[in-house]
Amino acid sequence: MPGLLGVFGKSPFEPLVQHARKVHECVALVRPIADGILAADLDRVNELQFQMSRTEYEADQLKDQVRQNLPLRYFLPVDREDVTRFLAQMDRIADDAQDFAIVATFRRIHLPNEYHAEFVALVDKVVAVSEKLLSLAERVAQLQREAFVGPDAEHVLREIQEVAHMEWEADKLSRKLARHYYGADDLDPITIMLLDKLCVALGGVANHAENVGKNLRLMITRK
Amino acid sequence: MDPLTILLVIAVVGGLYMAWNIGANDVANAFGASVGSGALTIRRVVLLAAVFEFSGAFFVGAPVAQTISGSIVAPQTFAFRPEVLGIGMVAALLASSVWLNIATFFGQPVSTTHAIIGAVVGFACVACGPACVHWRQMAAIAASWVVSPLVGGVLAYSIYRYGVKRYILESRHPVYMAGLFMPLAMGSLAGIVLFSIVYRGLPGLRLDLPAAYAAPIAAGAAVVIAVGIRLMIRRRMWRHHIRRADRYPAVERWFGYMQVATASYMSFAHGANDCANAIGPLAAAIQIFRDPSNVPEQIAIPAWILAFGGIGIVLGLSTYGYKVIKTIGKNITEITPTRGFPADFGTATTVLVFSKLGMPISTTFVIVGAVMGVGLARGFAALDLGVIRRIFTSWVITIPVSAVLAMVIYWILMAVMG
Repeated sequence: MPGLLGVFGKSPFEPLVQHARKVHECVALVRPIADGILAADLDRVNELQFQMSRTEYEADQLKDQVRQNLPLRYFLPVDREDVTRFLAQMDRIADDAQDFAIVATFRRIHLPNEYHAEFVALVDKVVAVSEKLLSLAERVAQLQREAFVGPDAEHVLREIQEVAHMEWEADKLSRKLARHYYGADDLDPITIMLLDKLCVALGGVANHAENVGKNLRLMITRK
Repeated sequence: MDPLTILLVIAVVGGLYMAWNIGANDVANAFGASVGSGALTIRRVVLLAAVFEFSGAFFVGAPVAQTISGSIVAPQTFAFRPEVLGIGMVAALLASSVWLNIATFFGQPVSTTHAIIGAVVGFACVACGPACVHWRQMAAIAASWVVSPLVGGVLAYSIYRYGVKRYILESRHPVYMAGLFMPLAMGSLAGIVLFSIVYRGLPGLRLDLPAAYAAPIAAGAAVVIAVGIRLMIRRRMWRHHIRRADRYPAVERWFGYMQVATASYMSFAHGANDCANAIGPLAAAIQIFRDPSNVPEQIAIPAWILAFGGIGIVLGLSTYGYKVIKTIGKNITEITPTRGFPADFGTATTVLVFSKLGMPISTTFVIVGAVMGVGLARGFAALDLGVIRRIFTSWVITIPVSAVLAMVIYWILMAVMG
């Protein structure tokens, strides 16, 4: 039996959840950065960007840890591909959140008040998508213990649909905002450019969150 | 002292040492998980393991012991030089003991079954030539080594996938369903164990009933146990209201109680199969040395020698085995009770059936098969196939190595005694 003990490998699901938490920490920083942009407070934005890149780096380390704990000889209850894709998509969420922070540090943006509400709405929606996703990802380890079946698994599957819906809403908000600032005559072109880059980064976060959700669905239903 | 007495003493010591080893190293197979989940304290484990290992060895140990002592090489082959058979069996016991110690020293898991079978074949090959080994019987044994993990795997997979998973985990009322599942499981467990004891069991205790009597007795006991447990569960479940979020932990808790029974079942089956590794050769040696003039057709396995093996196992687990159980219990967190139950039940049932058929198989082999079965049904977070491969290789190596060791020891003994 002492030899038999080694048969049970280290679960990849707990570290997977840890990584997801770290990624959401990055996304959660987007809101204060947006506040800094609106307040035209470049020092604050710079400080938050520094925090962001540190968090993103930590997320990267966690990701590598999960990958290292996933040797080929492991037999997993989910497809190995799904696990690595899950990680890669999560990683892109963090990357896009960091992009947002970096663009914000390029230059002081003077955004007229009329754009504030729409911009904040978009940011909040994107953060909400990520939050929802995290709450689902956090249940992966639990689902494994419940063998990926039963009421809890069904609940997660329904919630994944919800994530996709929220991504669509974020998309709509982003389009509306784009129409608004592209159609404006009083904004200077550089501001428009930066706004566009910020919106692309935000859209990326929501998009990848949706992809992670799809991946989660595959993990649960496959086999 | 005359050489026969000396050989007799060596045989008894060798047999006892083998039994001790089986108790010391393998009992953790059965009880590691229940200590790990906190269902049992170590003191209770030692008590339960002692009772069930002994009962398994005593009541169901004979068929496998008969196979090892008399079916691989027929005692009649040695009718003209009976002491050769005795010396050979002693050599087999010593060879497997030595190999067990070497392997344990290097931290390799070994199967006592494979060691003893390899050793018996080894000595037979040099004592009377490979032609006298019953290769057909050996082929059947080798086939059982392949088939038994598969059977264990299929059983564990089916119990998990079509029992635990479909009817409990997938259900909207998992705790209620667990309350229905448990009496069924415990009833069938009790029925199987009782059947294995009374169906063609020990003649001395009049436990050698034909199937027509044994089956109704076992079935009756199964029903009584199932109903009793159902009533108990209903009383306890009514008293506790379980919140939604606590459903799955509650299911695990209920299965945790059941683990005590399945672990006992495992050690019963283990005693039944593995005890023979120690007492099979011993029985042959003792019979020859006590009465060299009369070589029987079949080596008889008297009840006292079964008890002797059982006591050896109990000694092993109480002097050293509990330490192994403790270490394993601490490290084994992956086997939750809902996964442990199918694996244990599948393993124990397989081992017990093969024991009744007189097939010496490796319990650990079957466990690996059962764990893989549950894993295939998405039961475990990660299984290390590399480790599984290593375990299998070390067992395969065991057979030739212990065969060669047995040859060498046989030659030495013959040179000294002859």
